[in-house]
Amino acid sequence: MSINNPDFDIIQLLKTDVNKGFRLVVEKYSTKLYWHIRRLVILHEDADDALQNTFINAWKNIGEFRNESALYTWLYAIATNESLALINKRKRTASVSLDDIGSYLSNSMEGSTWFDGDEAQVKLQNAILKLPEKQRIVFNLKYFDEMTYEDMSRVLKTSEGALKASYHHAVKKIENYLGEN
Amino acid sequence: MKTLNEIPRQNPFKVPENYFEEANRRIIASAADTSNVVAKTGLYRRLRPYLIAAASIALIAVLSYTAARILIPGTSEPAIPELSAEEFSSSYIDYIDVRTLEDGTDPAALSDEIPMLSKPEIIDCLMLENIDLNDIYELL
Repeated sequence: MSINNPDFDIIQLLKTDVNKGFRLVVEKYSTKLYWHIRRLVILHEDADDALQNTFINAWKNIGEFRNESALYTWLYAIATNESLALINKRKRTASVSLDDIGSYLSNSMEGSTWFDGDEAQVKLQNAILKLPEKQRIVFNLKYFDEMTYEDMSRVLKTSEGALKASYHHAVKKIENYLGEN
Repeated sequence: MKTLNEIPRQNPFKVPENYFEEANRRIIASAADTSNVVAKTGLYRRLRPYLIAAASIALIAVLSYTAARILIPGTSEPAIPELSAEEFSSSYIDYIDVRTLEDGTDPAALSDEIPMLSKPEIIDCLMLENIDLNDIYELL
């Protein structure tokens, strides 16, 4: 692991004082991870649950964190998996099919106290919710988080070429939806 | 058709006041409550002595088998050549007709901006569209 790694100091601290190091991890990444999760699960209450679970999971596995991967892609991978687990749970509890989960989340979003978008934002979010889950993750990570394809490849364990193509298709689908609505 | 660039890149979602400070406090408190797993030795480190022993036994077994193959005459070659997992998946992927995969894609959605993809990358891309890997193989 290179000294140029932005998390080098935190990783070194995790080895010598894991409690202090973990506190720094939480302070540095909780906001970013929350918004990544929120864009997937939509509801604030669900995002809060998934964020807690993400850090509990990270804490339990902090001793096994392999230094060759970046801390933040490791955290993003955990957060993504927690979000998908929560979405799958919602499908079961709400008896929603795979195809309807986007509509379910869209209705939840528009009825939520914690959503404050104008008409254009509502349309954009609805367009994003029409994407298949995994493609939605790709789109969000690129468009909102401006993650590099190299880092995204580590988060999603998918080739960079496939991610680039998937993002390109996602943009086309969203623009088609915006044009039709 | 409206483009994505015409929509301001804003965050339409909100959180309660002081949410992040309170969430951080709760997370750190939860970690302190599970402090009995602080600095847990990784699974690999705990299993390492056993893995070394198992690897040593496996090596001795392989060497013995190889010696027996060399010294004892009359052993025959298998009728079907064995492939490694990597060779098998490569040969399987070669049977996949990329044109059939592309037939399902609207040509208008493709442009010069899309990078040339290898067959495994195309499969990865289809899986991002929630198409099951077994369905991809069955269709071809």
